[in-house]
Amino acid sequence: MTGHVKDKEAFQRLSFLYQAAHCVLAQNPENVELARFYCHTQKTISKRLVLRQDPSVKRTICKRCYSLLLPGITATVRQRRHYGQRRTVVRCLSCGLTKRFLNNPNYKLWSEQPEALLENQPKPEQNTIVQQNQQKEKKKAKPDTK
Amino acid sequence: MEGVIYKTLSSAEAKELNIQTQGPKESEAFVSAFLKRCLPGLREEVIQERLNRKAVILEHSVKQKKKQKRKRRKGLSAKEKRQLRLFEIKAEQQRYNLFLPLHNLWKQYIRDLCNGLRADTQPQMIQTKLLKADLHGSLVTVKKSKCPSYVGLSGIIVQETKHIFKIITKDDKLKAVPKCNTVFSVEVDDFISYIYGSRFQLRSSERSAKKFKMKGSIDL
Repeated sequence: MTGHVKDKEAFQRLSFLYQAAHCVLAQNPENVELARFYCHTQKTISKRLVLRQDPSVKRTICKRCYSLLLPGITATVRQRRHYGQRRTVVRCLSCGLTKRFLNNPNYKLWSEQPEALLENQPKPEQNTIVQQNQQKEKKKAKPDTK
Repeated sequence: MEGVIYKTLSSAEAKELNIQTQGPKESEAFVSAFLKRCLPGLREEVIQERLNRKAVILEHSVKQKKKQKRKRRKGLSAKEKRQLRLFEIKAEQQRYNLFLPLHNLWKQYIRDLCNGLRADTQPQMIQTKLLKADLHGSLVTVKKSKCPSYVGLSGIIVQETKHIFKIITKDDKLKAVPKCNTVFSVEVDDFISYIYGSRFQLRSSERSAKKFKMKGSIDL
C-alpha cells in the first residue's frame, strides 16, 4: 500500500515481538516462557490499540497460555475426523488446549476475500482517498515508463 | 435364587457340551460365593435381600434434565496464571549467548523504525520513536540509581514488567532492576538515550497506547 498506514509503529512493534518470540524459541526450544511472554505482550498491545492480527499469526498463539505454537516443539498437529469431516487439530503441549481447523479447500478467510481490502470497500470517504492514491501511483508510474 | 440369576443346564445340553451337571445345593453355594467375591462391599444378607426384592414402577417417571454447565471459558484466570508460572524464565535458559540473536533482531527493528539511523537525524525524533518502541532485546546500562550497587550494570533486557526490567548480564546472571529511582541508558548505533525509570513505570504493553507528557521535573 502506498498510503500512510495508521499506527505503523505499533504494527512494527507487534511484528518485532512475534519475531522475537520465534527467535527465542529457535535459539533454545526449551525457553517457552520468554516466547510466551512476548506473545502475551503482543496480544495485549493489539487489544489495547484495537489492531487486527492476521489469522496466520492468531492461529499460532495459544488462546489459553499464550505460548507460540510451533508444530513439533510446542504443539502437535494431527489430522482427525470430527463429525465426519477431516480437521487439522493443533494441540498446545503446555496447557493442552486444542484448536480445530476444518480442511476445506474452498474456504476463504476474510482477509483473503476481495471485499476485505480497503480499496474495495464502498465508503465514499475512502474512495476519494483511494482515487488520490491511484493518481499518485499514475504519476509515479509515468516516469518509470519513460 | 434359582431362576432369578441362573438356570440349571438341561441334561440334553450338558450331554452335547460334555459337562457334568451340578446338584442344586452345589450350584447355589457356587453362586453365593461368586457374588460375594464380585460384590466385596456387601454382606451376605444384603445380597440376598437385593436378589429377592423386585421393584416395578408403573408410572411414567419424568427424568429431570440436568442443567447443562455453561461452556467453560478458554482463558486462564489470574490465579491459575500465577500458579502455572507462565512467564518465569528457568535457570538453564539464563545464558547471555542465547540472547545475542535477540539483540541483533532488536537493532534491526530500531533501524527499521527510525527509517535507517543516520547521523543527521534529529535526536528528538528518535526519542519519540523509542518511547513507543519495544525494549526487549536492547542493551542497557544503569547510569544512575539511588541504590549504588545497581550502577554500572549492563546487559540485554529480557523481560519488562510494570516495575522491573529483567536484565541478563554478560556473566550469565539474570538481574531484576527496579525502574523506580534509576536512570538507564540505551545505545543504538552511537545514539545514546536515557530512560528515566521513574517515569517509565508502565507495563510494556500499556506504553504503546499511553501519551507521555513533558511535565514536571525529571529527577531520580
